[in-house]
Amino acid sequence: MITSYYRPRTLQDALALAARPDAVVLGGGTAVNAHPGRPPVVAVDLQALDLGGIRADAGLLRLGATTRLQELVDSELVPGVLRELARLEAPSTIRNAATVAGTIGTADPESPLLTGLLAFGARVGVARAGSNAEHPLEAVLDDRDLLRGSIITGVTVPLGGRAAAHGTARTPRDVPIVLAVACRDADGTVRVAMSGVASRPVLVDPERLGQLVPPADFRGSSAYRIHLATVLTTRALASLGGSEPA
Amino acid sequence: MTLTLTINGTSRTVTCEPHESLRTVLRRAGLYSVRYGSDTGETGAAAVLVDGRLVSADVMLAVQAEGHRIETVEGMSVPGQLHPIQEAFIEAGAIQSGYSTPAMVLAAKALLERTPNPTEAEVRDALSGILDRETGYLRPVHAVLRAAARLRGEEPAAVEVVRLDRLEGSGAAHRDRDDLPPIAPRVVPSPDVPATRVVGHAETKTDAVKLAKGNPAFTDDRDLSGMLFAKVLYSPYAHARIVSIDDAAARALPGVRAVIHHGNVPRVRYASGGQSYPNPLPYDQVSFDNKVRYVGDRVAAVAADTEEIARAALDLIKVTYEPLPAVFDENEAIREGAPVIHDEPDMEGAHDAAHNIVHHIEARTADVEPGFAAAHRVVERTYRVHQVQQTPLEPHIAIARWDSDDRLEITSSTQVPFHARRMLAPLLGLPVKRIRIIKPRIGGGFGAKQEMLIEDIVGHLTMATGRPVRLELTREEEFMSSRSRHPQTITFRTGVDAQGKLTAQEMRVVANTGAYGTHGLTVQMVTGMRGLSSYNCPAKRFDCDVAYTNIPVPGAFRGYGAPQALFALEAHMDDVAAEIGMDPIEFRRRNWVRKGDPLDIAPQLGEGDVEAGGTPVITSSGLEEAVLQGQRSIGWHRRSDPGWRQPADRPHIRRGLGFAMAMHGTAIPGLDMGGASLKINDDGSFNLLVGATDLGTGSDTVLAQIAAEVVGVGVHDIIVYSSDTDLTPFDTGAYASSTTYISGTAVKRAAEQVRRQIVDRAALLLGVDAASIDLHDRAAWAADGRSVSLAEIALSTLHQQGQHQIMGTASYVSPDSPPPFAAQFAEVEVDVETGQVTVQRLVMAVDCGVPINPVTASGQVEGGMVQALGYAHCEEMAYDDAGRMVNPAFGPYRIYRADEVPALEAILVQTLEGSGPFGAKAIAEIPMDGVAPAVRNAIADATGVRINNIPLTPERVWRALQAS
Repeated sequence: MITSYYRPRTLQDALALAARPDAVVLGGGTAVNAHPGRPPVVAVDLQALDLGGIRADAGLLRLGATTRLQELVDSELVPGVLRELARLEAPSTIRNAATVAGTIGTADPESPLLTGLLAFGARVGVARAGSNAEHPLEAVLDDRDLLRGSIITGVTVPLGGRAAAHGTARTPRDVPIVLAVACRDADGTVRVAMSGVASRPVLVDPERLGQLVPPADFRGSSAYRIHLATVLTTRALASLGGSEPA
Repeated sequence: MTLTLTINGTSRTVTCEPHESLRTVLRRAGLYSVRYGSDTGETGAAAVLVDGRLVSADVMLAVQAEGHRIETVEGMSVPGQLHPIQEAFIEAGAIQSGYSTPAMVLAAKALLERTPNPTEAEVRDALSGILDRETGYLRPVHAVLRAAARLRGEEPAAVEVVRLDRLEGSGAAHRDRDDLPPIAPRVVPSPDVPATRVVGHAETKTDAVKLAKGNPAFTDDRDLSGMLFAKVLYSPYAHARIVSIDDAAARALPGVRAVIHHGNVPRVRYASGGQSYPNPLPYDQVSFDNKVRYVGDRVAAVAADTEEIARAALDLIKVTYEPLPAVFDENEAIREGAPVIHDEPDMEGAHDAAHNIVHHIEARTADVEPGFAAAHRVVERTYRVHQVQQTPLEPHIAIARWDSDDRLEITSSTQVPFHARRMLAPLLGLPVKRIRIIKPRIGGGFGAKQEMLIEDIVGHLTMATGRPVRLELTREEEFMSSRSRHPQTITFRTGVDAQGKLTAQEMRVVANTGAYGTHGLTVQMVTGMRGLSSYNCPAKRFDCDVAYTNIPVPGAFRGYGAPQALFALEAHMDDVAAEIGMDPIEFRRRNWVRKGDPLDIAPQLGEGDVEAGGTPVITSSGLEEAVLQGQRSIGWHRRSDPGWRQPADRPHIRRGLGFAMAMHGTAIPGLDMGGASLKINDDGSFNLLVGATDLGTGSDTVLAQIAAEVVGVGVHDIIVYSSDTDLTPFDTGAYASSTTYISGTAVKRAAEQVRRQIVDRAALLLGVDAASIDLHDRAAWAADGRSVSLAEIALSTLHQQGQHQIMGTASYVSPDSPPPFAAQFAEVEVDVETGQVTVQRLVMAVDCGVPINPVTASGQVEGGMVQALGYAHCEEMAYDDAGRMVNPAFGPYRIYRADEVPALEAILVQTLEGSGPFGAKAIAEIPMDGVAPAVRNAIADATGVRINNIPLTPERVWRALQAS
């Protein structure tokens, strides 16, 4: 439960607060506030830092940490597949508050947007006292210690590739049971990311999908998820088709 | 901490805790339009604008909003004026309960400020964060488009009835129809129906203005000084004895005012289902027991100064449980050796508690075996239907207080205020006369609130503390501890002759009533009644065991046993048609009941005094016309178009169309009773007091239309008040599709008394014979064209001459329950590689007699179809091995959103039902009946695979495809 709240004005102040062991960093706050938990925590709200905005330069898309998901949906700079995955991430009322950094920080195990960002080869900018680093998104999802005591400053996404997403869900806008996003970079590198086949969105080897051990739940058994992984990966790769950009 | 918030243009200083949500703080500041739907933000009932962006105030801290511009719908409200968006919502019929309307209005405002000319898809996306269980989203979406047009300076067309040509005998059912305006109610008129001035017209709802403005109107929209907050401790075990409860630490927590549990609350047996006296057996509940029977069962309750303290106190109650083996499946529960769920000696009225059989129900019209023996084919199939929840967006909430006469006043979101009062009295040890139940506006019910679910808890706590006590369930508590639809295993066995006529039909059911009986008997009686009434058959047999299990308790849910029965029946009828190689509609047509046919199973399975009335007979049916209208609308002829069925550019897609017939009841004959009183005011307006319980359906409006038609005024000259056990006549409540028919007839009779009194005075004032007087346009008219206004008549009778109050009071109970009929169609696409089903279109053509209000009737159908689609397709209460629900939140528990619902069409096929007010029959529940089988049959049409379980989720469909 949040027992005190700070809205730092500088990254330096924010980093000092984030270094506290009881700190919780708020992007939009939609996930933290939905599931507050019992232990007392200090909220560090990033809204007053100038960390928002979407830019494209030198073949890179730069998404500021506090960019709201709705801004992704609305931006012509963002590849169409990522815009649609941002839309699928949450409904209107949440997208207008939830942020890129919050999506990475809370790391929903079935996040369509994170799956897309993985496929695009996104890197996460992380600031901590005295150092700035950029990590592959997969590393950040893998090792939560990379974010501890730090502030996410933004995400960079290589532009110029081509991508496609295919999912299977109970209803058209439901979180997919399994989602496959394939992306071919400008240099021809192909990545496939999936949700619903592991405890978090993962990059997969399309040749070795049978080695996945997806967690089962009432929406899909492990065997069914492996079947979907095969079908949806095939479709996503087929959709990449020619070589025009996404 | 102290915050300065800019709310609707005004800077306000508020104090709050850092963790408090913007919703909590805005409500405390008196902005009651910001409403609770859940703590996790996905319902959108608490959506507000922050710097012009629509955000969920559930998951934004108040302190996060400091420095930003906050708007709520109150900021759009000028007394006596409506914003064009609010106007559009009212005109489009987009408001049912209105609980989430303020949020939708704000969503529209934010969208239209940015995008003045939005597409329908953009509107749907903007509304995607606001869940609606009532409208099917069709009317809200078009209300936004309508508002957009008006704000651009265009004047949208009035929402008026579109009259469709009758198709019976025309051969036109196989031709495509022209496009119609999306929200114009479609009515197929009957030549038998006389012209009316108010009834049958697209009147706006009587309560729409206050709901569009977000005025305080719901249970929680009041602030009583000294009010305490209650929380309930729920069982973590599916089945356990409570060995001991130590509440000392909880009581010692500062701010805790009472802790109640089985040790300090009298043990009084009851059944919680809100039903007429005497409540059906079994009496297997007490307010707090020394045993728990499902995860979510009550253990104890606390009243404290704040919700946080109450929650903290729950953690301090030390309960020692002795866990017991549990059973969740209805078929396992009734096997020898299953854990006995009700072993307490003082429970009353279970059929065989030692074997968990609460009820055994049998009915038959004749011996079925000769019919099977003589049949050309006998087909037997078993179907399984699952557990889903009503999920009104407003959860259960009740506030109790002692009034100035030391009477216990409980304001509650209930469908059954009068039943709740009677049922509470023995539990609380108070006479009925010392209890008053007030039902304000309700944010949806769907049967969940046909239950005395929490009123006893606030009653006990107010009696223990002397203070007002409020209890509102969280969404998670709502899922785990309230009510739901009964799961059933249903076996149909049907004999047919060579011509496709039924020779015998048997329906065997094992039903799951969870931990308590409540509605377990009557829901399953309806299952038998509905399962064996649609088709003529010389011999029918129903056999049903109702089982106790350790799942959360099923109860009343819109449809009340019929959706279960009709999924199985209408799937089965398609299966039988396929077995004998006959067209599924033609096969049904050879057997379905028609006007004049007897409902032969009813005397054994109807509730109420059916036997006294003998075997009921169908007195009106528009089924044939409904089928033709539905076939035309859905494009049924495409079933034989291979190019449509298998699109060339999408090789893994198969398309199909499905049909289901539905027949429902209209009220419980001989049992459901409604009362009404009507009185005139000085200006010729009227107060209509009804016990009937509008839960968002528009029943107040329909009742006002009936009264207005009789006394010659407009619907907005009738001021409706419903319902309050102190102020309004008795009514059984809002259930069993009864309000229009039963309460409507009571209103009509009360209005006819008033009419006679008006006419008498008019005759005196005009100097003519009373028989020659006509009432319309707020006046009484003589044959020669002279008139006297109702205001003049009111002033004359109240103040001037032979003074008396023109008023009438009447009540009504019906010996009949004339069935509405419906033809339900579904269009689906099946991805045969993944099993994913996309429902493209739902069409329901329904004969509800004469729809009193075609807009609200259409809204019932549209919203009902989407709720029914959830049952068919995506909703399920899922559990782990220990009986704990694993998806007690929207999202994991999937209900359809605005941006994914299929196209919807409701077609109202008129018949003149002689026994109903102005020819009306029911419409509220029948939309729940046909969608699941129609979707299932459409999947079968698309793929050849017949699936006998719902929901039709991707893996289930994929596995069926693999097995075929």
